[in-house]
Amino acid sequence: MQHTGPRAPDRPWAKAFFATIFSTFLAALLWALFMGNGSAVLAATPGTATAAAAPGLAAPASTANSAATSAATSANTSATTSAPISGPTAALAIEPAAPTGVSQRIYERARPQLVQIRTLLKTQDSQSSVGSGFLVDDAGHLVTNYHVISQFALQPSRHRLVYATVDGRQGALQLLAFDVVHDLALLKPVDPAPLAGRGFVALRPAAEPLPRGARIFSLGNPLDVGFAVAEGSYNGPVERSFLETLFFGGSLSAGMSGGPALDEQGRLVGVNVAARRDGEQVSFLVPAAQVRTLIERGRGAEPINTPAWAEITRQLLAHEAVLTQRFISQPWRNAGHPRYAIPVPQEVFMRCWGRGSPQTARGLQFERSDCEMDSRIFITGALRTGFLTVRHEAYDGSKLGALRFAERYSASFRNELMGRDDRQRTAPRCVEAQVSSGALPLKAVICLRAYKKLEGLHDLAVLVATLDGTQQGVQGRLDAYGVSAASAQRLAQHYLDGFAWNAPKTASP
Amino acid sequence: MERPEDRVALIEWLDRDGHVQRSVDVAAWPLSLGRALDNTVVLDDPHVAAHHARVETDASGRLQLQALPSRNGVKLDGKPVTTTALLPAAGALLQLGTTRLRLRLRTEIRSEARAADATPAVPESLAPEKPLPDDTAGGLRAPLLAGLGVLLLALANQWVTLDPGADYTAWLPTLLGVPLALAVWCGFWALLSKLFQHRFDFAGHLRIALPWLLVMALVSTLWPQLAAALALPRMSQAGGLVNTLLTALLLHAHLRHTLPQHRRAVTTVVAAVVIAGIGLQSALTWRRHDSLVAMPYMSTLPMPALRLSGTVPSAELVQDMAPLAGQLAARVAQASKDEEEGVGEDEPGE
Repeated sequence: MQHTGPRAPDRPWAKAFFATIFSTFLAALLWALFMGNGSAVLAATPGTATAAAAPGLAAPASTANSAATSAATSANTSATTSAPISGPTAALAIEPAAPTGVSQRIYERARPQLVQIRTLLKTQDSQSSVGSGFLVDDAGHLVTNYHVISQFALQPSRHRLVYATVDGRQGALQLLAFDVVHDLALLKPVDPAPLAGRGFVALRPAAEPLPRGARIFSLGNPLDVGFAVAEGSYNGPVERSFLETLFFGGSLSAGMSGGPALDEQGRLVGVNVAARRDGEQVSFLVPAAQVRTLIERGRGAEPINTPAWAEITRQLLAHEAVLTQRFISQPWRNAGHPRYAIPVPQEVFMRCWGRGSPQTARGLQFERSDCEMDSRIFITGALRTGFLTVRHEAYDGSKLGALRFAERYSASFRNELMGRDDRQRTAPRCVEAQVSSGALPLKAVICLRAYKKLEGLHDLAVLVATLDGTQQGVQGRLDAYGVSAASAQRLAQHYLDGFAWNAPKTASP
Repeated sequence: MERPEDRVALIEWLDRDGHVQRSVDVAAWPLSLGRALDNTVVLDDPHVAAHHARVETDASGRLQLQALPSRNGVKLDGKPVTTTALLPAAGALLQLGTTRLRLRLRTEIRSEARAADATPAVPESLAPEKPLPDDTAGGLRAPLLAGLGVLLLALANQWVTLDPGADYTAWLPTLLGVPLALAVWCGFWALLSKLFQHRFDFAGHLRIALPWLLVMALVSTLWPQLAAALALPRMSQAGGLVNTLLTALLLHAHLRHTLPQHRRAVTTVVAAVVIAGIGLQSALTWRRHDSLVAMPYMSTLPMPALRLSGTVPSAELVQDMAPLAGQLAARVAQASKDEEEGVGEDEPGE
């Protein structure tokens, strides 16, 4: 799959032949080049590259400006907001510039309950991640995003959590509970005294749904510049999302993660969590209902002081069980192919994009469909999981002839990444066979990778190619990230069962 | 020498490659060797003593080599001689300083030879006459046919990768590249031959390269198709190894042709390099991919007409994946064990 147009001729023996000549003649030259490259790479890795490479979570940078740039460059479709940087709590400067009377009132009322949450490196006292948070009860419990405190949750021995209020009070925090699936965390100050008597942000009752277009106000400390209020509109839940997420028509910046989004009465609608960088004012909130659940679950809990991998795994397994069940219970859609039934998922919690080769192309014609889930679960800055993707490509080689089609069809099947051993996951283990699904002969490859820290979770890849056509065929791929072995088997079977002959229309008339 | 029958021996100076540079006749024993002008044979070598060695007949009439006092000594057929040593009847290789001499002795017994009426006795030790190296031996037809095959296969491969109606310039890389690469390749080996054998043996190397290249081209084209047709993933995985071995055999053939005196050494070295290379490659692949091959599945799809093996129900394949989770869990356990052991080293650096 992923046909990429004309390719270089693929002749291993010729390659070996040229390679041998090259290596014999130019070994010294190549070696010199290689050495040159090596040193160049080492020289060109200063801090800015690191900042850009870590979306969402903060990276140690120098100024708020560069932090903004790095956040903007790194953010892609679903980069979470949360982030950077040093600087004292210079919040008071914002007050005079309140945009409306309501917004001013909201900010005044929420000000005492608003905090910045900092994750500090224990040894250096320098911040490695900054987000926002807010008080949710009189006992001093605070809510923020899981991704704001993920470094602490995974390596509590090397980090510590600190809050800073708008009026400059600071203190240590404990992590009581988190909901990795909905990206929420419940915290508590070690010394409740400085946060006592400040009131708390009330949750908007579930019985009072907010109308679309209602004004809401998101609070937080964007990019560590200072506490701010961002006004926007409430646009209801995000469509085709597996996890309920609210669409906030306003601006969220890195560092506002974990801050509250309030209605005009100052009650919590949702928690700032993410923003799309490829649009304008497309931001996302975790609904208040999830906050309520977390508070009830975590209020009396013991502080978490050991790496939370086991708990994360437990929550992810619960999530993947529901996801798998819901996915399998949906019937496949028909892709509308004249010859084959191709499994395409319902667009209930997935979104599909289609693409075709230009009609004028002389070579292989194809039509492509990519279906993905928007909801991806943040584990660390380098790991998101808990989602599915399904895609296929239908090839038509009638302009090519059988031999040329066979070459391209195989090349397309080869052009698939299965991953290799890395920090997060093992190398894949695969099984393959020629199988039949509804009498349709298929080549099927099933690969499984295991997560190294999330024991019991796997990445599944099922690769399928139809084998009957001399000049046409379909190749499909299902990927499931973060599923149990049992779910992987069910998903693989479900996907394979989606392939069949289409009802032979030519026979009936 | 005007009277060959008076020649009792011949001394030949050998260069590094064993070729004779010059020779002198020996008419009578004893023979003295050294740098001084009063020697029978004067050796112009600073590593030779003034009087370095003597060859003389002993009491029983046999020839013996006597080493005279010298710093660098004398070697007879590679072995140092301290005092005296008998010379083999057929002759011997002598080394004095850096000078290498071959002593060819007249082996037939003189009295008998004279009695036998001038029938020239051929010494048994003389090797039979060697035929001239014939550059057209075996003809050039077979190699040329192989070359044509290679070019045709390359063009066929090119045809398959081009879309119909492609510009004719797209053929040029193959059409020019294959003969050019071949010429560079054989030229390189011919230069090596020139270095070691003093002959630019382009045709000889061409004759070696072409059949091997044809075999390699055929194998690399047909092997994956065959593996796909038979649905044998293991066979497909072995394809890389087969290609490596064929390349090694090609190199081996070239090296043997370049260094014909060192055939055993060439074989040993090539075998050692191949084994070491495959071992290293496998180790690296194993590290990254947890398998001996980088490609985790067989990527060549069989053409419908060539699909010889049948299908199984999909449930059977899904059943096959059941053991994977257990194998992966073992890998994870191994990885976390490795990490725990590595913690002490990593922590301060991070």
